[in-house]
Amino acid sequence: MIMNTGLKTILFAAPAVLGFFVPMALGGSGAVYAACVLVAIFAVMSYGLDIIVSDLGEVSLAHTVFFAAGAYTTALLSASAGMGPILSLAGSILVALAVAALLGFVTLQLREFVFSLVTYAVAVVAATIAQNWSFLGGSDGLRGIPPFEISLLGFSARNDQELWPVAYLLLLVAIYMVSSFRRSKLGKAAMMVHLNQRLAVTSGVDPQQTRLQVFLLSAPITASAGWLYAYQRAYISADVLEAYFLILMLTAVVVMGRRLLLGPLAGVALILVQEKFFSFGGYVDKIILGSVLIVSLAFLPNGIIGLFASIRTLFPRRTMPIGKTIPERS
Amino acid sequence: MNLTQQLVNGIVLGHAYALIAIGWTVLLGVARLVNFGHGQMYMLGAFVTWYGISRLGLPYILAIPLAMLVGVAVGYVMQRVMLQLTLKQDLVSIMIVTLGFGYVLHGAAALFFGSTGQILSTPLSMEDVYWGDLWFTYQDIAIVIVAILFFAALKYIIDRTRLGRLARMVAEDPQLAELAGINVKRVYLGVFAFEGAAVALAAALVAPRTPILTSMGFDEVIITFVVVVLGGIGSVLGSYLAGLALGLFVAFFGAFVSPAYAMAAAFAVLIAVLVIRPGGLAVSPGGR
Repeated sequence: MIMNTGLKTILFAAPAVLGFFVPMALGGSGAVYAACVLVAIFAVMSYGLDIIVSDLGEVSLAHTVFFAAGAYTTALLSASAGMGPILSLAGSILVALAVAALLGFVTLQLREFVFSLVTYAVAVVAATIAQNWSFLGGSDGLRGIPPFEISLLGFSARNDQELWPVAYLLLLVAIYMVSSFRRSKLGKAAMMVHLNQRLAVTSGVDPQQTRLQVFLLSAPITASAGWLYAYQRAYISADVLEAYFLILMLTAVVVMGRRLLLGPLAGVALILVQEKFFSFGGYVDKIILGSVLIVSLAFLPNGIIGLFASIRTLFPRRTMPIGKTIPERS
Repeated sequence: MNLTQQLVNGIVLGHAYALIAIGWTVLLGVARLVNFGHGQMYMLGAFVTWYGISRLGLPYILAIPLAMLVGVAVGYVMQRVMLQLTLKQDLVSIMIVTLGFGYVLHGAAALFFGSTGQILSTPLSMEDVYWGDLWFTYQDIAIVIVAILFFAALKYIIDRTRLGRLARMVAEDPQLAELAGINVKRVYLGVFAFEGAAVALAAALVAPRTPILTSMGFDEVIITFVVVVLGGIGSVLGSYLAGLALGLFVAFFGAFVSPAYAMAAAFAVLIAVLVIRPGGLAVSPGGR
């Protein structure tokens, strides 16, 4: 596709600017802002997992750990050490990188279900530790996270409406990162490792190094969502490691169709709108969320978007056919 | 702390772990499939047994087959829904779908059984046995006996019978098995139904040892992971030995170090093994 760069910029910039006014267009009530901030946070969380599942073709079940790493680091740095959001973001990213490096090192040789199994176990162990370790507040969690304030810029956000610009900016950065990743050398290498490892090796791509690099890119994205979530909720407890976040992320990544740039965002929005405005109670919502996940994988290989092939062109996507099945590995 | 008592605890716990993992062992070793909803199926088995005894007034011996029937139904439906993914050998999607099933089971169980914890007490679990200064229950004896019988029967069926050969052939090469006239779909459905029955039986026997909660599936499955991977993925005898070793480890670690971190420690052992021998414990599909 040949397109004028200027036109391309406008095509991307216009929705980005318009997106900021979505909560206002929806009435601008407190509940709308709260939902929009959460959609942005959870979408960022899902984008971290998206590049692992959609591009690398592995299922990491430890992404709740990165989310929790961001949230807990922020809680500790801001409530106990009195640091501001910029330092707590830096801290969150560093901690997530450290965890990802450790996890990446351990799982470097593992593939497929053994990889998923170990990452799942990591998530369960992390939940046990968070519930029992008094340093992390134990089962009470950590309270007293101060409001989001950057004194240098004179910016302070005391409610969801004031936090929205931050959440939206974070979302744009995450989308931009995923989009640049897919155009980058690393993104192409990841896709090659995913689809044909032998070809990747003969083309001079080191699969293990690629996997580790993608992992290290993915973790800070999800952790930065945890960072903002800590400020949004003002307290953090072990429930950030619950299966809910894992299922939410996975559903958001696959429901619209894999490797769609705006897929995870639309998926999260769909799920949260149901939960916040059309809820049937926690347990029925669980059944709905799980069923959406099952149905989209078992019956809609191209996601919801695959059902409406004609509007596909609205979503920028890569030239790789999204319906392609993952080849069997030997 | 009495050392022999911990040894007894460890042996019982080990047989319990091995019994819980048996469905996964068969899934993986025989059909090269995975099920991340295993923990929630265990939870469901425990709650159906509890429901049968305390609400329907069934005797324990009838509540067990009821739980197993529900397990068979759930396993069958799961595999029926994802049959296309199984035939394509799309393991990535299968993993996520089974996770989704686990989540649905959790929601449905909480809706039906309520979210409060329950105690599943059986006639066997209330009978204490004192032997010298050792203490255990008849339930513990039942767990050990059933686990040993189950493993022996399974090993025999997989190694020596036509049924076992069919399942192993499908695992080895589904396409070739199809050409040889085997109904591959039926084997896959059967293996999943077996997984449902096996985990329900394990739950009916093991769950009386601890209070049951509808949310327990999320971490319950981790024991199975450790057993299956340490035992040499898919090996029946290996799973039995790994379960036993893990039970002893957890019993002694819990008694002498910290019960809260016993699972985390077991997991650390798993990680250590995987780092030292990545994939080294794996055996070929259909392996014994």
